[in-house]
Amino acid sequence: MIATKYRQTRRQFGIAAGVAALTVVASACSGGTSVGGSSSQSASGKVEGAIRLSYWGSGKRVELTNGVSDLFTKANPGVKVTPEYTDFASYWNKLNVQATSGNMACVAQMQGRQLNDYASKGLLIDLEPLIQSGKIDVSQIPKNVLDTGRGTDGKLYEIPYGAAYDSIMINTTLAKQAGVGQPAADWTWDDFQAYVKKAQAGLPTGVKAVNLGGGLPNYFIEYVQAQGQKLFEGSKAVFPQQTLVDFWTMWESLRKGGLTTTAQEKAAEAPQTEQSFIANGKVLADNKPGNQLGQAQGALTGAKAGQQLTTVALPSGANTPGTVLFTSGFSIPKSCNNQATAAAYINFWVNDHDANMLFSSNNGADTNQKELQAQIDNPKLDPAVKHMLSLFKDIVAKNPPTVLYPPGYQANFETEFTRAYQQISLNGASIQNTAKAFIDNLNSALAAAA
Amino acid sequence: MSTSAPPARTPARALSPIFPKRPSRSRLVRGVARHILLILVLFLVLYPLLWMLSASFRPANQTFGTLGLWPSGFTLDNYRVGWNYGTLQFSKYFLNSLVISVLCILGNILSCSLAAYAFARLEFPFKRVLFAFVLGTLLLPYQATLVPQYVLFNHLAWINTILPLVVPKYLATDAFFVFLMVQFIRTLPRELEDAAKLDGCGHLGIFARIVVPLTIPAIGTTALFTFIRTWDDFLGPLLYLNDPNKWTVTVGLNGFLDTTGVSAFGPLFAMATLSIAPIVGFFLVAQRMLIEGVATTGIK
Repeated sequence: MIATKYRQTRRQFGIAAGVAALTVVASACSGGTSVGGSSSQSASGKVEGAIRLSYWGSGKRVELTNGVSDLFTKANPGVKVTPEYTDFASYWNKLNVQATSGNMACVAQMQGRQLNDYASKGLLIDLEPLIQSGKIDVSQIPKNVLDTGRGTDGKLYEIPYGAAYDSIMINTTLAKQAGVGQPAADWTWDDFQAYVKKAQAGLPTGVKAVNLGGGLPNYFIEYVQAQGQKLFEGSKAVFPQQTLVDFWTMWESLRKGGLTTTAQEKAAEAPQTEQSFIANGKVLADNKPGNQLGQAQGALTGAKAGQQLTTVALPSGANTPGTVLFTSGFSIPKSCNNQATAAAYINFWVNDHDANMLFSSNNGADTNQKELQAQIDNPKLDPAVKHMLSLFKDIVAKNPPTVLYPPGYQANFETEFTRAYQQISLNGASIQNTAKAFIDNLNSALAAAA
Repeated sequence: MSTSAPPARTPARALSPIFPKRPSRSRLVRGVARHILLILVLFLVLYPLLWMLSASFRPANQTFGTLGLWPSGFTLDNYRVGWNYGTLQFSKYFLNSLVISVLCILGNILSCSLAAYAFARLEFPFKRVLFAFVLGTLLLPYQATLVPQYVLFNHLAWINTILPLVVPKYLATDAFFVFLMVQFIRTLPRELEDAAKLDGCGHLGIFARIVVPLTIPAIGTTALFTFIRTWDDFLGPLLYLNDPNKWTVTVGLNGFLDTTGVSAFGPLFAMATLSIAPIVGFFLVAQRMLIEGVATTGIK
């Protein structure tokens, strides 16, 4: 009798526990996760409370970002900024998962190449009204730089605060040894080819004039700009197939002429700047972000003591600069519940003098032109950073083109471009056929992602 | 006349080897060659580890640029700098990793052994279907369940806590360990449990007094694999632990890297070297148990 009662009690407990567990799961699932979310506190609210800030970076950048946040909280008592950071690659993995569950940080760092993956899905707010209402001041950011934060619908989803640009990194010691010196500031792609041909003849055995670049997406994007052509229109690649054929033909000619690293060497090159061929004295020239001069020089000093690096602008076309700006900036997700404070933080970051002097263009050149000049004029600024900022100023003065990257660009362009060129350089595939297949596949994928 | 046959001459090979026969020259050569080959293969396997160890003692400007293992300059700076690099605090990360790993080990041992006992010994409706269902989860890649899990934990307000990393371990979600223990428990003689039943033991009593003590090798294997998986896990802590004070060692190591900025490789290699020490130590301690557990369950 007692045993039966005990069994019944246990069964009842089991059923109750099961129902409780199901209730927890059901309540968790029935919240109706809105990916875009709805703002529970509009941008016109008070600057108060807590916000999360997510960005990519490590080491010094984390300290500087924390410093800027401290300045902001000092200027806005009662506000708390909680940072979330990781390195560039992991950042996007994390952000993707956060975005799917409406849990993006209120101030989320973006880059032009990824921006439309999020903007096109309605995850971000249009920042134009905040500019109109004076909550975010962008008067010191050049229009073509600001436009890199726009979506394919023309709305502004990101306030760019740092502009990176690619450059040709040159080993000046090897260039002098080869008798070519530094290229002219306004060189063209024809000059580029002539330069590496001439340099190779005077280089020591085992050192190549240029790292093989046919599979580097940025090289091609910059090549297209130098031809005065557009890369994308809406969600379609609109560059002529012949341009891609010409680009790959140029690199194949250089490769087969023994002027570049081999396709196998290039495929095996480590992605970190410190391990790259240019940073180890194995090539005279390579395409590298302008802000990586310092770390490449540090590695080169360790590998080949006494050798020096510098950066020059990419080859341009007859009337068009060949340099493209890759900006990093801040966006506010629709799911943010404290948009007023998020907007105030972005405004502070972009315009506060002390904040800008502290951060000092740590993630690309400062887009605020007044602050950029103040940093260039700072006598204590590291010479490599000063060189990077001065070159950026020259590039901006030439009014570089704005490239708007469609949704799906990151997933369907960059890796596929490298793979397509490897088909040519490693497997001997036809340039014409590979170019056609690449563009066809790209347009199909971009249409699907739109 | 004795008809007994003379004692057969004992073959020389059967004599006790007071003076063991020297191996022939060809056998000796083959043995040496085999060992040289094995050492070479071992060196190839260990080379990345040795290179990392060597790089952790090199000055910052010599981290790369050589494939050699002997550092031309020797420094402990990478260990000193790496331990508290910038905002990173590895004393905290090691402790966080340890706490999470221990909680996960306890969870997996408790929940997987209970589930395994049920599947191996109890009779209940849909047992086979449910077991197949549990095993079927092994086929699901982690990435497929990542987003739904994150959505669930976000609704439970568990983000930025260790709960998403630990609580599932108490729900027997690691099907591999359930399977491992089911296999092990099935090898135990049922007579022991029958005898316990006659003595009045219930299922929990049999589980605690008979099954658990006899399943120690499988439990040890579960503990070791759980420890390695948890200690090495990067994606889980990356997604769920936002506050740098709550990071684990793997996320902390990632903090040395930034492909768009300045990476600190020397300190990274130093801390990576330290990070593998607990795994090596745990393996050395539990090595016999691990091999026994794997061998007796037929999982190879």
